[in-house]
Amino acid sequence: MDPVKVLGISGSPHRHGNTETLLDTFLEGAEAAGGSTRKVLLHELGTATCRGCNACHKDGQCVIRDELIPLFDEIFSVDVLALASPIYTMGITAEMKGFLDRSQFLWAQKYILKTRYYTREHIHRHKGFFISTAGTGWENVFASAFPTMTAFFDIMGFEYYDNIIAKEMDRYNGIRNHPTALAEAREKGEKVVGVIAGLKGGRPAEGTQEKGKGAI
Amino acid sequence: MPFSVLAFATSPRRHGNSETLLDWVLAEMEAEPGFEVEKVALDEVTVNPCRGCNACEVLGKCIQRDDMDFLYTKIVEADCIIFASPIYCLGICADGKALIDRAQVFRSRKYVLKIPVVAPEKLGKRLGIFISTAGQNWDIVFDGAKMSIGCFFHVTEIKNRDILYLLVRGVDKAGEVETHPTARDEARATGRAAIARIREMNR
Repeated sequence: MDPVKVLGISGSPHRHGNTETLLDTFLEGAEAAGGSTRKVLLHELGTATCRGCNACHKDGQCVIRDELIPLFDEIFSVDVLALASPIYTMGITAEMKGFLDRSQFLWAQKYILKTRYYTREHIHRHKGFFISTAGTGWENVFASAFPTMTAFFDIMGFEYYDNIIAKEMDRYNGIRNHPTALAEAREKGEKVVGVIAGLKGGRPAEGTQEKGKGAI
Repeated sequence: MPFSVLAFATSPRRHGNSETLLDWVLAEMEAEPGFEVEKVALDEVTVNPCRGCNACEVLGKCIQRDDMDFLYTKIVEADCIIFASPIYCLGICADGKALIDRAQVFRSRKYVLKIPVVAPEKLGKRLGIFISTAGQNWDIVFDGAKMSIGCFFHVTEIKNRDILYLLVRGVDKAGEVETHPTARDEARATGRAAIARIREMNR
């Protein structure tokens, strides 16, 4: 059986910061459980933002041929997708938003041209995570990110499976001082690989996880 | 001194729906004696995303050298800031989000360094307007964007009660707002309301 493939996409411009550390820990957990992992840094790709030209509504293709096109292809080859972005100004970073907005051609394939379709079984076998940190402790600090993630996972045919989020980074002075976040990330990385392996092997998954709280 | 209105058209699509709404508002304000308007299309300037380096928490300014150098000055000097953005993926388009995130400098000045963001005589006298369009008709379609824009205005010393909203749902195709039954009237009304509020705040 192929190993469970886990792709982590970091939308933080700040290398090795709180969010990337949380993503790294999630990927370590996935590796430990036998998953094959890869991390992509959007900041290094330096890709263009959606132009809003709507050309994709006609032919389902994006007119911008940059490195995001193979990245979207890669997403369709993995079992688990983790999108990691810190919260800047009550939302995901401009880099992450730039990446998500570029999925418009896939949205057009799914909802306008109707050339893209995912079975329920397919969605069940593909799990999406949102990984994030925020400086403040405000209760609603992740609230604007959740609907965007819900929309993106829907476009990509992934179940919005869970969040790994930690706030009050300013108070804790960094993710490494947070009492539970890193352990949670590692555990969720390990567990999801087991769940996917179970699904691939035709066995029922061990345990069930609560669906992402932010999912609408 | 005339009241200065600084407007950002943040959509990557020039002269699309959100920018058209903005133009209608600006036409109303420009026609008013004592008001000067300036529109900045992000498509024509370079505003890179925030790097998250937090240097502004020490320096009180951004280490990146791009068109924000002059836009920062315009932002703190304006009497009215208008931010126009379409909704992409249930949030502000990425280009607009980059501009918002660069306002981190103001947050650092206000909360870390505790130095004034705007001249003291401007406090409580600045108005913000958020203009947005969305293809979807969902109730929640502007909610995420409003949270980020609220922060942007907050750190630029524009209070929640001093923000006007012009939000139009269900327009997606280029030019669609032109045939919207009420959008043009709403935009004119927003322009007039803004003029009245700015005059009242600066009385």
